[in-house]
Amino acid sequence: MRLPSQRFRRELRILIMLVLCGLLIVAVGPLVLDRYSVSILVRSFLYGSIAVTVDILWGFTGILSFGQSAFFGIGAYACGLAFDHFGISPGVALAALAAGLAVAGLVALLVAWLAFGARVSALYVSVVTLVLAIVFVQVIYAGGNFTGSSSGLSDFDTFDLSTAAWFRIAGAGLVVVTALGWIFVRSDMGSLLVSIRENETRCRYFGISVTWVKGGLLLASAIVAALAGFAYAGYNDVVAPDLGNFQFGTQLVIWVALGGRGTLIGPAIVAVLVDFVSAYLSGSLPFIWQLIIGGVFIVVIVAMPQGLGPACVAVIRRLIARPADAAPVAARLIAVPLRPTARGAQTPAIQLTGVTRSYGSLHVLEDITFSGRSGELVSLVGPNGAGKTTLIRCISDGEERTAGRVALQGCEIGRMAPERCVRLGLGRKFQAPTVFDALTVGQSLRVARSRIERLSFWRCADEIRLPEAAMRVVRATGLDTQLATTVRHLSHGAKQALELAMVLAMEPSVLMLDEPTAGLTKSERTVIGGILMELVAQHGLCILLIEHDLAFVREISSRIIVLYQGRIVLDGAVEEVASSELVRTIYTGEPQALGEPV
Amino acid sequence: MIDLFLDIVTTAGILYVVAVGLLVVFGVLKIINFAHGGFLTIGGYAALITTELHLSPWVAPPLALVVGIVLGMVVERLIVRPLYSRPLDAILATWGLSIVVVQLITIGFGRGTQFVMSPLQGAVPLLGTSYSLYRLAMLATALIIGAAIAAILQGTRLGLTARAVIMNETLAQSLGINSALVRFVTFSVGAGLATMAGALITPLLSIDPLMGVPWLLNAFMLVMVSGTSLVSLALASLVLGGAQVVVSTYGNPILGALTIVVLAALLLRVRPAGFARA
Repeated sequence: MRLPSQRFRRELRILIMLVLCGLLIVAVGPLVLDRYSVSILVRSFLYGSIAVTVDILWGFTGILSFGQSAFFGIGAYACGLAFDHFGISPGVALAALAAGLAVAGLVALLVAWLAFGARVSALYVSVVTLVLAIVFVQVIYAGGNFTGSSSGLSDFDTFDLSTAAWFRIAGAGLVVVTALGWIFVRSDMGSLLVSIRENETRCRYFGISVTWVKGGLLLASAIVAALAGFAYAGYNDVVAPDLGNFQFGTQLVIWVALGGRGTLIGPAIVAVLVDFVSAYLSGSLPFIWQLIIGGVFIVVIVAMPQGLGPACVAVIRRLIARPADAAPVAARLIAVPLRPTARGAQTPAIQLTGVTRSYGSLHVLEDITFSGRSGELVSLVGPNGAGKTTLIRCISDGEERTAGRVALQGCEIGRMAPERCVRLGLGRKFQAPTVFDALTVGQSLRVARSRIERLSFWRCADEIRLPEAAMRVVRATGLDTQLATTVRHLSHGAKQALELAMVLAMEPSVLMLDEPTAGLTKSERTVIGGILMELVAQHGLCILLIEHDLAFVREISSRIIVLYQGRIVLDGAVEEVASSELVRTIYTGEPQALGEPV
Repeated sequence: MIDLFLDIVTTAGILYVVAVGLLVVFGVLKIINFAHGGFLTIGGYAALITTELHLSPWVAPPLALVVGIVLGMVVERLIVRPLYSRPLDAILATWGLSIVVVQLITIGFGRGTQFVMSPLQGAVPLLGTSYSLYRLAMLATALIIGAAIAAILQGTRLGLTARAVIMNETLAQSLGINSALVRFVTFSVGAGLATMAGALITPLLSIDPLMGVPWLLNAFMLVMVSGTSLVSLALASLVLGGAQVVVSTYGNPILGALTIVVLAALLLRVRPAGFARA
């Protein structure tokens, strides 16, 4: 097992070499290439940089944007408008750049505010960015003589730089953007982006402000695109509405898909190559070339969803034997004591008053009132459809309930989103194992703890600190030997255990578990039961448990609540509830179901 | 005032005709066919061919329908079927297809703007004003198409299985419904409706290889706010199309071109279900 920092040092050496090679090529390029190629490649390099930002947004984070072109257009028009109307001077250039970046940033924030709300669909960001690109073009049209309308602006005075100088600027820009992007996506923060793509809801229940992360990412990518646009206009001396339209935005997405989403290098190379060859062939074979690109794109999407880059890499891997030192990489686990929390012993950890959930006239939950103290393990039992999972939803998401009040540690949750409920000390394990398939076990645990220990933007931490309880779940289920394993390859039971460990890693004070031991072996169950009892007894957690295995419930609970048809029908000590006739009849109709001899 | 009213209802009719194919495909296959604009363009050029062959302009819409259904069958089999489980990729692949369509048409017919014959010319007196006969015919066509689809969905065996697939595909499959066939037929019909719409709208405007793009965008937004309901689509066409007419008439045409997409985007933010019942 190697540590992330060891791998990072090795990879950083390679990266620095590659960056130096790239910069060398960029520096030498104008000396060896013909004039026409150099002049075209400036534009291709700029497009490559934006393709990298689209890949970080879409390939890593799952934000499919058709409007990245609009930010490019904003940057370009900032330059074109300023130089056309005010002439060129250092002051004008700086002010135009600042204005362009500011406008692009504000528009990105507006898009983020619209698109990353909690209740809109995942496709909505694509809709908004599409509309953004359409609006950009129409705004330019509406600008009349000021913006040059449909023909754009051209022949304004611009920077007095040679084509070779522009080549070096744009090329170095591409190398730097790609290298920084590469470091970023390989860092702990990069794991967070992937976890958002894989399961946004799970992220929210780790207390991560997904909206802010995505908004920040969109903002940063808009700034890079606007910078590229500014350079484009400064170099080309032409701006036109086409720079920001949705066709160009879609073109960027196509380049990323062709190059291989989630690879960064692939999209950058494909963007440069395709744009370069397009320019060469646009004279001789204009329409045929576009036709070929369209056709290849369809074939790649249908037959090679990973893109051309990964497909080529796979072929090369097959030809060349793998290097010997392919040891798995994972951080070390370090056990830490639970952080002390200031809990008033008097306020109940969880307090529900008259909670009701209705769909129209159908009441799924009616007038649920109960409280749970620290140091109590309350089991919720009831037949399927009694409303158990709905009740958990109502406690963990302020938008869910129709009426009533919920307080965690004495704080009313009001209409709070899950990530804010989590900050009150809530932890929730979902019924079906809800994990991040594309991450490794170690990365998953690291992301789960991100609210307590900040994630680095440029490296992977060598240590994952886990509280004792999470550590014991990990050890008991053998996950500690699989830290470098991708979660996708885990068994169902291991995924259950991993999710439980992730939830415990956030050190919740109120823990809600929806059938946490389903799919686990008998011995794993016993271990987890023991851990839960210990969390309650020694660390004063309040646990709310949904479980169907009544023998298990009897063994570990301090109290049982019986839910039937959306109402609480019994709430009392274990023996009292378990021996009640009412429970036997409504829950199963069979006396032995409660684990007692008949 | 009467003119404005007629503009609104006929615009709604045109939008409905253009968007209904996209809605049918989205409803059953749950994918967005970005080649819809390409199919519209093909329909437009089918109309152009009938004009150039000096056939009756009445031939154009049925011809376009047949061409669209046949092309739809090929496209479903080769491109759409492998992407059922990847709806976002299906958007991209069908967009790639529309690039191919545009380039093929450009190679075949050139980039220039062309015009086709209208089967109905002139204006008719109506409600005290005189109004374009063809636009009124488009409204009637929209009503006929809507009624025909509703009749197929409610009255035939194919419609019943289609409704089953719309509501719960997994359950439909387990009941022995061949959902692959339902998808195949639906996509072909959706493509046919798109090409027919392309042939129908061309007498109102010029045709060029890129004519499908603005229509695709409006149709896409209308479908986003309508979900899978034909009634919602009619309502969305009327409200958003009406807003577009009002803005273009009293504001300016550039704002008018933005009305549908911007209003639809804002509506989806406030109410994710749009015009459909939540």
